[in-house]
Amino acid sequence: MGSIAWWQIILLTCYSMYQIMDELTLQTSLSQPVWAGLIAGAIMGNMKAGLIIGGSLQLTVLGVGTFGGASKIDANSGTVLATAFSIGAGMNPQTAVAAIGVPVASLMIETDILARFTNTYFQHRVDHMIDKLDFKGIERNYLYGVIPWTLSRGIPVFLALAFGGPFVNTAVKYLNTNLSWLNNGLQTAGGLLPAVGFAILLRYLPVKKHIAYLILGFMITALFSTLFTGLQTLGTGLTTVDSKFTTVFNSLPMLAIALIGLAFAILQYKRDIEKDKVAGAAAATKEEVTETSDEVEGEINGDED
Amino acid sequence: MATKTDVPTPTSGYQLTDKDFRQINIRNLFLFQWGWNYEKMQASGYLYIMLPQLRKIYGDDREGLKKVLKMQDQFFNTSNFFNTIITGIDLALEEKEGTASIDTVAGLKAGLMGPFAAIGDSIFAALIPAIMGAIAANMAVQGNAVGCFLWMAVDFVIMWFRWIQLKFAYKQGVTLVTKMQGTLNALTDAATLLGVFIVGALVATLVNVKVIYVAHIGKMAINFQDKIDMILPKLVPALVVGAIYWMLGRKRMTSTRAIFIVIIVTIALSALGILGPQ
Repeated sequence: MGSIAWWQIILLTCYSMYQIMDELTLQTSLSQPVWAGLIAGAIMGNMKAGLIIGGSLQLTVLGVGTFGGASKIDANSGTVLATAFSIGAGMNPQTAVAAIGVPVASLMIETDILARFTNTYFQHRVDHMIDKLDFKGIERNYLYGVIPWTLSRGIPVFLALAFGGPFVNTAVKYLNTNLSWLNNGLQTAGGLLPAVGFAILLRYLPVKKHIAYLILGFMITALFSTLFTGLQTLGTGLTTVDSKFTTVFNSLPMLAIALIGLAFAILQYKRDIEKDKVAGAAAATKEEVTETSDEVEGEINGDED
Repeated sequence: MATKTDVPTPTSGYQLTDKDFRQINIRNLFLFQWGWNYEKMQASGYLYIMLPQLRKIYGDDREGLKKVLKMQDQFFNTSNFFNTIITGIDLALEEKEGTASIDTVAGLKAGLMGPFAAIGDSIFAALIPAIMGAIAANMAVQGNAVGCFLWMAVDFVIMWFRWIQLKFAYKQGVTLVTKMQGTLNALTDAATLLGVFIVGALVATLVNVKVIYVAHIGKMAINFQDKIDMILPKLVPALVVGAIYWMLGRKRMTSTRAIFIVIIVTIALSALGILGPQ
């Protein structure tokens, strides 16, 4: 235990280098933490553990988008390393999220900044090539941008995977024996971290304007989930009492909740379009009125002259 | 400069074809933002994706082309989901007026990149990743990979929109901006409403924390979580999110800092036996 094969290190590094280019261009969602978990899990031979770690980190960064080119916490690389070490060193997935995933993700902000900074070098050369009207040179130097970007993810991920193993192993041993309180705390933190993502997202959304829908979304879901969980518990209980009782109760379907939200959104869209039409018509008539009044004024001025 | 008094140089008369649009779109989807840097951000990317077409439009007018390239290589940054709308309007102008449109194009780019960045970032960088991410992550934490593929499918639909908008914007030209304003505003309003609703729903399902503290008064044990559930189910997650929301509004608070504060406070509360995982 505790070792990651060299081919796994290479594959994980290649994925890390690809994901940042995907994030910059195509955006197929392959650069998202859930996918990082799935892919890193598959490479490490335990897809389920990868999905759990990727899912947890996805929830942590749910609201963290790149706004206006600001560097964001790199949950993808965090997921890759957390998954690799969780499976390689036998660390509990929830603990790996808080103990490896989040610290790595925030450290990687620095390499992201470095990439965005070093890329100025190549893009300056584009400026020179424009002066010379060297079209091939413009294109070549533009594309050199791939170098700082891929290295900014590839180098740290490779170094951590290649040399971080023994350190993580010792940490895992310690966490499981001497520091169980810290282990519990990290697990609790892993479950609570999505709250940060939601709070960040709310900061970017017009909460005050749509506060009624925040309450509706929360309360409908809170009540239904309590109801559904209660039913499931009851069902399980009844099965043990009477083996003839075979009805299975499902958990709350989130898609149903999302569709209720969509219905509210459609209503709002229709109201807005209607309002826009009315406002447009009003503005048009107003314009006509001002135009005629302008003419009248013009005539009076003309008379005075 | 002598050129200032000259009659504006006419273009080569080149008209963009579907082949040109395909080339721009492929460059845009696969290579835009490769040149992103702190100094001029997407400037070189904006230039790069339309370079072959600019060369065709200006033909042998090398001095004119140089001036245009210099203008196109100035600071630019917008949503990478809407940038080709600006490219489309820009090319329609340059194709018609050539170097005479340089000032107009520079103004157009500067004027449109802000609004498109705002709409694009709020819908494509925050809202859709939040909704699809929540669905995918919700399934993933149970070991289910279906949500990941669902997200990818949605992203391919978005790519299709990124593909068709270039030609659409080119055809509509400058009138597009004023015409679509009302629809775009209504769309953003509805989308943000859905976002707020979904966040409310997610707070109630995905924040897994509860009070494990049990007070012993004499022989009576008071389970706090039971009492809280009687007031309102999921009250603890709501209060936690509310507290972090407030914290994020404080000065000098960044999201990364907030994450670490939350981890440290949670470890402390867990060690004291107050909070625990659900």
